[in-house]
Amino acid sequence: MQNNTQHLLDAANQVILGKAHKIRLALCCLIARGHLLIEDIPGVGKTTLANTLAKLLGLNCQRIQFTSDILPADIIGASVFDPKNLTFKFHPGPVFNQMVLADEINRATPKAQSALLEAMEEHNITVEGKTYPLPRPFFVMATQNPSHQIGTFPLPESQLDRFLMRLELGYPNHDAERLLLKGEDRRSLIASLPVKLPPEQLLNMQEAVTRVYVSNAVLDYCQAIISFTRESSEYYCGLSPRAGLALLNAAKAWAFMNQRDAVIPEDIQAVLAPVAGHRLRAGNNDSAAIVAPILAKVSVH
Amino acid sequence: MNNAHNKNVLIFLLSSIGLIALPHVGHIPKVLSVFFYLLLSWRFTGIWKRNWLPNKLMVFFLTVCGLALIYSQHQGVFGRNAGTSLFITALALKLLEIKSERDLYLIAYLAFIVAASQFLYEQSLFMAAYILFVCCVLFATLVCINSGKPQPGAALKTASIITVQAIPMAVVLFILFPRVEAPKWLMFNEKNQAKTGLSDYMKPGSISDLGLSGELVFRVKFTGALPPPRQRYWRGPVLSHTDGKRWTQVKDMEFGRFLDKIVFKGPPYQYTLLMEPQDKNWVFALDMPAVFALPLSRNANYQLITDENPDKRAEYKITSYLNYNTGYITRTEYKDATQLAGEPSGKIKQLVKQLHGFDGAPEDFIKHLLNYFRKENFHYTLTPPLMEENPVETFLFETRYGFCSHYAAAFVYSMRVARIPARVVTGYQGGELNTAGNFLEIRQADAHAWAEVWIEGMGWVRFDPTAAVAPERIERNIDIEQLVQGGFISYMPAGAAQEAFNWLKQTRQLWSNIDYNWQRWVINYNGRNQSRFLSSLGIDDIKAMLYWMVCGIGLITALLSWFLLHQKQKAVDPVLRIYNRFCKKIIKQGLQKGAGEGVKDFAGRVKKKLPEQAADINRITGLFIKLRYGRNATLDDLKLFKELVEKFKS
Repeated sequence: MQNNTQHLLDAANQVILGKAHKIRLALCCLIARGHLLIEDIPGVGKTTLANTLAKLLGLNCQRIQFTSDILPADIIGASVFDPKNLTFKFHPGPVFNQMVLADEINRATPKAQSALLEAMEEHNITVEGKTYPLPRPFFVMATQNPSHQIGTFPLPESQLDRFLMRLELGYPNHDAERLLLKGEDRRSLIASLPVKLPPEQLLNMQEAVTRVYVSNAVLDYCQAIISFTRESSEYYCGLSPRAGLALLNAAKAWAFMNQRDAVIPEDIQAVLAPVAGHRLRAGNNDSAAIVAPILAKVSVH
Repeated sequence: MNNAHNKNVLIFLLSSIGLIALPHVGHIPKVLSVFFYLLLSWRFTGIWKRNWLPNKLMVFFLTVCGLALIYSQHQGVFGRNAGTSLFITALALKLLEIKSERDLYLIAYLAFIVAASQFLYEQSLFMAAYILFVCCVLFATLVCINSGKPQPGAALKTASIITVQAIPMAVVLFILFPRVEAPKWLMFNEKNQAKTGLSDYMKPGSISDLGLSGELVFRVKFTGALPPPRQRYWRGPVLSHTDGKRWTQVKDMEFGRFLDKIVFKGPPYQYTLLMEPQDKNWVFALDMPAVFALPLSRNANYQLITDENPDKRAEYKITSYLNYNTGYITRTEYKDATQLAGEPSGKIKQLVKQLHGFDGAPEDFIKHLLNYFRKENFHYTLTPPLMEENPVETFLFETRYGFCSHYAAAFVYSMRVARIPARVVTGYQGGELNTAGNFLEIRQADAHAWAEVWIEGMGWVRFDPTAAVAPERIERNIDIEQLVQGGFISYMPAGAAQEAFNWLKQTRQLWSNIDYNWQRWVINYNGRNQSRFLSSLGIDDIKAMLYWMVCGIGLITALLSWFLLHQKQKAVDPVLRIYNRFCKKIIKQGLQKGAGEGVKDFAGRVKKKLPEQAADINRITGLFIKLRYGRNATLDDLKLFKELVEKFKS
């Protein structure tokens, strides 16, 4: 099963150049049943990443472009009067897809944002007293412009907490950029991609991840990290219990992707920056810098 | 510092200061205590009502008031009492102007000084324990000031741990730090604290004042066997001169040079004598002291005298013999010991004649006289009727109620009438055996007077006429209260009350044993005892002492830090211990595992440095991961892991 993930990653790396580690983390997030927030300036390949992953995983993908006048109904759908049957019929919105790319989520008003975030949390949508389940697997990949840009509503901490990981893609390096400039059009490349990991297999994987073993030693380390963030003066507010669970889930998925059946501290360290960075928010957006004191000071045993 | 933080710390600080000043209430003038607690409660109120705190002008006014109070009470600021009052008043005033964290520290340190000044007044074990407790609370206050989130419980716990950890250090400093004798001015007022004991004269009735006092005079610990109870006579002043009523010591001791050499017989008794502070320089040795060291000396009356200041507790090592022969009598002694105030009355002469005082051997007369006391209707009581005129005659022929001083005086007087040299010896008799510590406690109630008669060929011989009348007075301890109330000696009722009494007695003995050791080993550890103790350990000069002190402190610090460092490693499981051994082997290569570094990352680094051993490193790391983080590690894995680590050579 793990071999398939490797094939998938290899294929994805052909499309998105020089971002192997980020792609790996994005897949890890997916396998851990989490949602992904990508925060970066426009044009570094956020949408390409979403489309590539959707294609390789054989998921139907829908993009929602968030704007300042988008309404919750534009996301979750609306009941429309059917003149034939004289009834209201629910027309599902773009959120009823296995993979949803929520582009520039922080350009929408908080009302519209929360419509999506609630769907992410509950895995179903209730409209006029009726509940509609969302498809499985369900994966939201939201992109966010850096909050200093004009016309943004930064996501509050409570909403940020719902994303398992936050990634910054960043500029490609020199060689990767040269290849990109030389190579063929990304869109046609994506169109030609085969499905490497069908949805059933993804569901199986997600199931298998929950069975990854976590020893007491790893739990000790995990708890040491959590209490460090709560006690240290470097962070305004420590990690929540939900964040602890998220960290452990992500670490399990990471261990699984590395063909191990038990989590080791390195797994936690590998996913710590994307999982804890946006939750700690120590004055900057550089996740790696935010978690650096944790990695340095919390000892591994 | 936020407000809530401030509040908790302040409550803590003020409470601990209230506790610290509490024992001083008995020492400083009442007015100053009231002033102190008034300001303290003012400050307490100020925690909640900030506006009520005095402004600068008011504080100035209060300072003037405080100084005026001190001056009016002590007429100055020098000396122990005035100094203590000054510190306490300053502490109270400083409380009213807490502005920054620095003020909190200042107050805490001032409070430590006030706590320490307690020992100028009282040095008992209880007080030491109390001060230790109070210091613990002060430490907790300091912990609170420094912690982000002050929690009194946790702070107290930390403070107690700190205090316990400091104890070994304190012990080393106590034993080895050079002693500086307290300057005299510090002890200004201590004179009137010394206890009054036996006086240097005796009048019928004078000892009865002491008879009621349970106050401790001295304690004796024997190295070997204890002398039998009826032989425990602790020799004090010898009274040879009489004016008919009072018996006093002779002033002129010149004859001491002509005394015969004492011949000691029988087994020696070696003991340590711990004198409580007193106002006279007498040391009550077991009759008769033979071996003793400076500053003790034996005067012409065979009484031990110390040259040192008797206001302090002092310990002496003495050896005594119960059997002795003082040899011949000097002329002066003979003159003193047969002196009478005027011509004795006919009645007494008649009695002496009747008892063959004039025609028989002295021994026979003594026997007859003691028999006379025994057979005639003489009574032992601590509340005898007053005998103003001619006390000896009144006692012998009229009242016949009396205690040791009456009997001793009457006995010696009769001897002298028969021209037999005799004198009164005062001191203590008996003492209660503390079974817990196996030492004797001699209290004021044990004060006694007996007689000494010089007999040809035997020297001065002790006779106790009181024993003839009330042998139980000599052979065992009497219950003073019973004696006083009933007028006669009686014993505790048997049965349940007796048991309860025994239990109480045992508890009291246990406590006084602890107290004895405390006084002996802690309070009495002065410069002289320190140098004696240290030279017994081979530490002779101050240089060696300092050397030992530094070593001792270094050792304790090392031990404590080792303990603190080791604490974490102790909890480690065997897998981790073996892995640590592996890490130690790699340290030789200049590679050290970072605290936050995972084993796999570390192995990656190590492999780069030691590529030829990559396989071993991989196996070791893999096994470690399996054992520590894996789901189903087996014992074989552990064995293999251990083996690999042991074989591994970097």
